[in-house]
Amino acid sequence: MNFIEGLRLALESLWVNKMRSSLTILGVVIGIAAVITVVAVGQGGQAVLMAELQKIGTNIFAISVNWQEGEPLGEHDFTYQDIAVIKELVPEITYLAPTNYISAVVRGPKDKKPAQVIGTEADYAQIANVKVVKGRFLSQRPGTTRAVVVLDQALAEEIFGRLDPVGKRVTINNRPVQVIGLTKEEGGFLGIQTIKRIYVPLSFAQDISGQRIIQQMEGIVANREKISAAMAKAVIVLERRHNVKDRYKAISLEEQMKIAGKITGIITLIIGAVAGISLLVGGIGVMNIMLVSVTERTREIGIRLALGARRKDILKQFLIEAIVLCLAGGLLGIIIGAGGSMLVARLAKWPPLISFGTVLIAFAFSAAIGIFFGLYPAGRAAKMNPIEALRQE
Amino acid sequence: MITVKQLTKVYQSGKISFTALKEVSVAIEKGEFVAVMGPSGSGKSTFLNILGCLDRPTSGSYFLDNSEVSLLNEDELARVRNQKIGFVFQTFNLLPRLNILRNVELPMIYAGAPAKERRQRAQEVLNQVGLLEWAGHRPPEISGGERQRVAIARALVNQPAVILADEPTGNLDSRASTEVMTIFKKLHRQGTTIVLVTHEQEIAAYAKRILFFRDGQLIKEEIISVPPEVNNR
Repeated sequence: MNFIEGLRLALESLWVNKMRSSLTILGVVIGIAAVITVVAVGQGGQAVLMAELQKIGTNIFAISVNWQEGEPLGEHDFTYQDIAVIKELVPEITYLAPTNYISAVVRGPKDKKPAQVIGTEADYAQIANVKVVKGRFLSQRPGTTRAVVVLDQALAEEIFGRLDPVGKRVTINNRPVQVIGLTKEEGGFLGIQTIKRIYVPLSFAQDISGQRIIQQMEGIVANREKISAAMAKAVIVLERRHNVKDRYKAISLEEQMKIAGKITGIITLIIGAVAGISLLVGGIGVMNIMLVSVTERTREIGIRLALGARRKDILKQFLIEAIVLCLAGGLLGIIIGAGGSMLVARLAKWPPLISFGTVLIAFAFSAAIGIFFGLYPAGRAAKMNPIEALRQE
Repeated sequence: MITVKQLTKVYQSGKISFTALKEVSVAIEKGEFVAVMGPSGSGKSTFLNILGCLDRPTSGSYFLDNSEVSLLNEDELARVRNQKIGFVFQTFNLLPRLNILRNVELPMIYAGAPAKERRQRAQEVLNQVGLLEWAGHRPPEISGGERQRVAIARALVNQPAVILADEPTGNLDSRASTEVMTIFKKLHRQGTTIVLVTHEQEIAAYAKRILFFRDGQLIKEEIISVPPEVNNR
């Protein structure tokens, strides 16, 4: 008996018991659907993460000072001079800016809002791809203490209402400051509404926080391939200038994102594994029904043996039935899973990602479940004694 | 065609053993029509099961078509059942969910015959038993006598060396019985070897030789010379 005949026999018997067959595969359907959904949503999230990374730029990096516990501030801090020297000695770095991050409340004539204040310089606009929609960005004048701010457009609307904010005054933590420009922030990270960013000159930020240090530098390289070399060079320059080792740490945004990507990958894997357990339960269900089916069809098995079926033909027949059941369940599960992940994706606002690989694995896995859980019932069928089987009513 | 020597079958169940067949020796020639008779428990069914390679003898030898069957392994026995033996059962044993053509094709599927050849041959034997027009129907849609004729067609499909029939008319009324026996008679005329188990005298009368069993032993043989048509009336 060849495979096609075996398949035909299996389909015939499954078709006769349509109701039972569909109930049997339900467990596999749910299992596969769950796994597909989890993996698709997880991979979609990761893809969004990576796309976001592309948008922000894969050639951005940051250098910070590694503080030891209890160490006095000051000695190894970044200076304006450091930034200028690095820019001169490391030509791969096209823009480099100091950045201090402070949380503050910004108050306009209409309302007040919390905001993230970034103390920096003109270069930052190029590094972070800041889009100025009105007025201008900060100027490149190291050490300037001019009290100016570049506001986010949406934030400006909230605190000013319909007034044009450019040239007007607002306060940041009660310090008056003049609005010189408006920026437009796109979407926010992963579609989550983040707290708005506003930009002030570095020295002004230092005034607000009361700390006269530069927290970190952020820079951008023209050629993405050169980013590691550029970061290493910058660190060496800093180490020479401050005569210290292992104090400065440079990390590219890409590296940071990859770490985040790895974590989401692990989470996906864990949830996927839990969903996989339901698949196991589905497989046990298939085995259960196959055992019932074998018992019920004892006489059929006897007839087939009498007509010249070998034991392996009987084994094959029942095994193919189990595999066909599980594959049908897998197929249905993939379809439902695809639908489910689209639903989840719509709610989470990121595109689901059902890769060909996932579908292939799900299919192979359903077949494997069919073989694994079909083998025992099929073996029971094949071991029957033809005379006793024929006697069965 | 069939030669059995000192065929013995002992069923062992724990400490109790039961001798179902005791040193039966008989030879059946090609083209013979043999009936096997005896009360229930006489060993006639065991005898037929062994001839049909569904069971193995405890001792003794069984030659079918000049080959020693008791030495064959399971797969080889399956092949013998498939190629050399055509079974006809009392309860027909058709698969109710397959149509009649598929039922008849079944032995050829296990023989590995190509689909086209199967179809052709199955139609041929269905025609032989006069049921070709029912090929697309399922067994529950036809009468008992028709079902048994389908079973005979199925038994014939692989052109076996011998047809083994176990009480083929046991579940049929007399009219259907006659129909079925007429087919056996026709097959016999065409040269088919037939061994038929029955406990009905009228049915056995269709055969040319009757083997009588009692208590697992072959106790008597009878050659019938009267044509069954005459005998039946």
